[in-house]
Amino acid sequence: MVPEYLISALVYACLFAMMAMGLTLTYMTTKVPNFAFGDFVTLGIYSSYTAVRVFNQNPYVGSALGFMVGALVSAVMYLAVLRPMARRGSSLVSLMIATFGVDIGFVGIFEIYTNYLQYDLGHIDAPNFYALPDFSLGGYAGVDLVAPVSVAVIVLCIYLLFTRTKFGVAMRAAVENPPLARVLGINVDMVATVSWMLAGGFAGYAGGLLTLLLPGGTATGSNLIVEIFSSSVLGGLTSIFGACVGGLIIGGSEILGTLGLGLGFGTVGAIIIAAIFLLGGIALVRRPRLRVKVVGGVFAAFGLWILADMAAGFPVDFVSYELVNGFGPNVTPFQQAIPLLIMVMTLLVIPQGLFSINFRRLLGREKR
Amino acid sequence: MSGLPQLILFGINWVSFGIDFITFYALYLAISLSLNLEFGYTGIPNFGKVLFIAGGAAFGGSIAGRLAAYILNVGAGQDFITFNAKIITQVNGDLVNDPTLSVELVVVSLVVAGLVGGLLGFLASYPALRLREDYLGMLLLGCAQFFQVVLRTYTPLIGGSQPIFVPDPYSYFATLGTGFRNLVAMVVMVVFAIAVYLFVERVVRSPMGRTLRAVRDNEDASAALGKDNAKIRRNVLIVAAALAAMAGALYSFYVGSVEYDTWTRFAWTFWPFLIVIIGGVGNNSGVVFGAFFFTLVFRGLQQIQPYLPASNVFDVNSIADMLFALMLLAILFLRPEGIIREKSSYTLKKGVLGKIVKPGTTEEKKQGFASRITSRFIRRREGGGSAGDAQPESSK
Repeated sequence: MVPEYLISALVYACLFAMMAMGLTLTYMTTKVPNFAFGDFVTLGIYSSYTAVRVFNQNPYVGSALGFMVGALVSAVMYLAVLRPMARRGSSLVSLMIATFGVDIGFVGIFEIYTNYLQYDLGHIDAPNFYALPDFSLGGYAGVDLVAPVSVAVIVLCIYLLFTRTKFGVAMRAAVENPPLARVLGINVDMVATVSWMLAGGFAGYAGGLLTLLLPGGTATGSNLIVEIFSSSVLGGLTSIFGACVGGLIIGGSEILGTLGLGLGFGTVGAIIIAAIFLLGGIALVRRPRLRVKVVGGVFAAFGLWILADMAAGFPVDFVSYELVNGFGPNVTPFQQAIPLLIMVMTLLVIPQGLFSINFRRLLGREKR
Repeated sequence: MSGLPQLILFGINWVSFGIDFITFYALYLAISLSLNLEFGYTGIPNFGKVLFIAGGAAFGGSIAGRLAAYILNVGAGQDFITFNAKIITQVNGDLVNDPTLSVELVVVSLVVAGLVGGLLGFLASYPALRLREDYLGMLLLGCAQFFQVVLRTYTPLIGGSQPIFVPDPYSYFATLGTGFRNLVAMVVMVVFAIAVYLFVERVVRSPMGRTLRAVRDNEDASAALGKDNAKIRRNVLIVAAALAAMAGALYSFYVGSVEYDTWTRFAWTFWPFLIVIIGGVGNNSGVVFGAFFFTLVFRGLQQIQPYLPASNVFDVNSIADMLFALMLLAILFLRPEGIIREKSSYTLKKGVLGKIVKPGTTEEKKQGFASRITSRFIRRREGGGSAGDAQPESSK
């Protein structure tokens, strides 16, 4: 058996990977960070809830419904709000504020819908409900299998779409250079609409699966925006596969990091973490930019400190003892600090995202 | 005990409604003006506005309570958060007879909130100087979202999920009669809003205001003229954050408590943006109008709940959310520059200006000093062309 915490980390990571791929798709085509993206996740959450509670369907039917609803609403948002505004030459900030406005509009719609479920249909738990029932297979919950398989299928499909089909190549061209793509006869608007549809669909589908793991509510999706943005930024906002990797890293590190900080990493775990900080810090110190050097120096010093204090048997005990034996359950509510911290670090050190790192050069295999 | 006069028409007490209305108007006016300073004039889209307001309210409110308890020697040896309700009730009982301490509390709390806000603004300026608008927006929004989690979880500050009470510096006026407390709170808020208006207006009318617009409109040009864009942006963020934090502290005194779930990004980031966009970006009189319009819609909607169909489905707050979204989109589509357009920079009055630069005539002796110098200079450069040729606009 695989330990349960690894599985739960994997499932979260897969869900964030799907959401981040969606956000990155919209960013690539419209160049606007979509603040209403979390609401597409909530759309999926309530599609799933409605399918299970009102129509007595399987939650996976609900997730599929979430895909369709998310795709539809996302496309409508693009066609009705963002495309007309972009055609008028609105500035980036105006477009961002518009997505913010759509975000608050969704909050009102969700409240009215949950009131309807609650008072007119008698589903009392609609505004805040516990995780929905899932089937189990060989000791694993259904979502443990479905989420990773879904991500694998989505990545494979996108890869095939981008490399093997004419439409996918057209999509890439439209993202790279819209005017040139238009000259070549590619329907750039069509490409953008399809991207938004896929993006909303991924978010809705991930939201539907999320109901099997977590309690859901009207604000669940919009509270996840920190993780979604961090994943996309870590992936570089220009690469779908980067977003997928970013989501996997963010989801995994959030769950495992919180768990580890709470229960302690043990001696071996603490040494590994210290080594990561030390080696990563040294790698950063060798970079040319001063602020990267400073960040690297702090990292390396932190790693050294942990190793030294551990070796001496915790005479000072600042962070190091807790890293081995755990901070206790109080850290759990602060788990969003991990993705936020990763986002800040990404923006300071590798603003172009993960895939902009030249790994060969980092390892010293390639001359500058 | 006498109270304020009442004026009841259509089932609404217009006096208390008016006090409530003006208080909220002043609060949102102050916050929106500070947002206009950073977003409208300097071009920093601060999507984490709630962070600074909540920071000011949390620290200001928390410290005011602790300070009052310490000075009045209430609840010594008791945990401030656990026995908060008891301690603050006693403090309020003592504050009734101690107007001086009440004033001191407000002042100290405002100073603390201003410092905390300034510090948060300084921290936020680090990414704001380096990132593009979209990355900055995502980062600040994320930070604000996380700050709400901190407020909910970190109990020593404002008690986490249990709200803490804030000492009521206006409790002396509550003894005069019902309604007087809110009246005084309203006056304090209005005075603060007017002070913020005068300050921001003074800044943007000064040469500094033109510099801010230059930083917003053309960074390269302002750098070429010797302006330090990074420093200007940082200072604006610090000042605007401090103003917003002070408004937050005043709000916590007005409502008498600080709770984590008040500080949503919708109420304290989106609404100020909505006000600035409705009124006019980069225009303070527009913001005055926008805040009035917004408060009218917002507080007016609260009054229509009894007239809605007798169903639990349609709640006024959710209708307001959707209405605000539609209002924002309508403004962005129909009149993106806002209802009142941004005016060009203020210059000297015509008479004063005319003494410095007179409209050019061909006879040089009629021209003003600066113009004469300029035209001579131009003639020398152009190899003897007439002044009229060199300055085509001035010859009308």
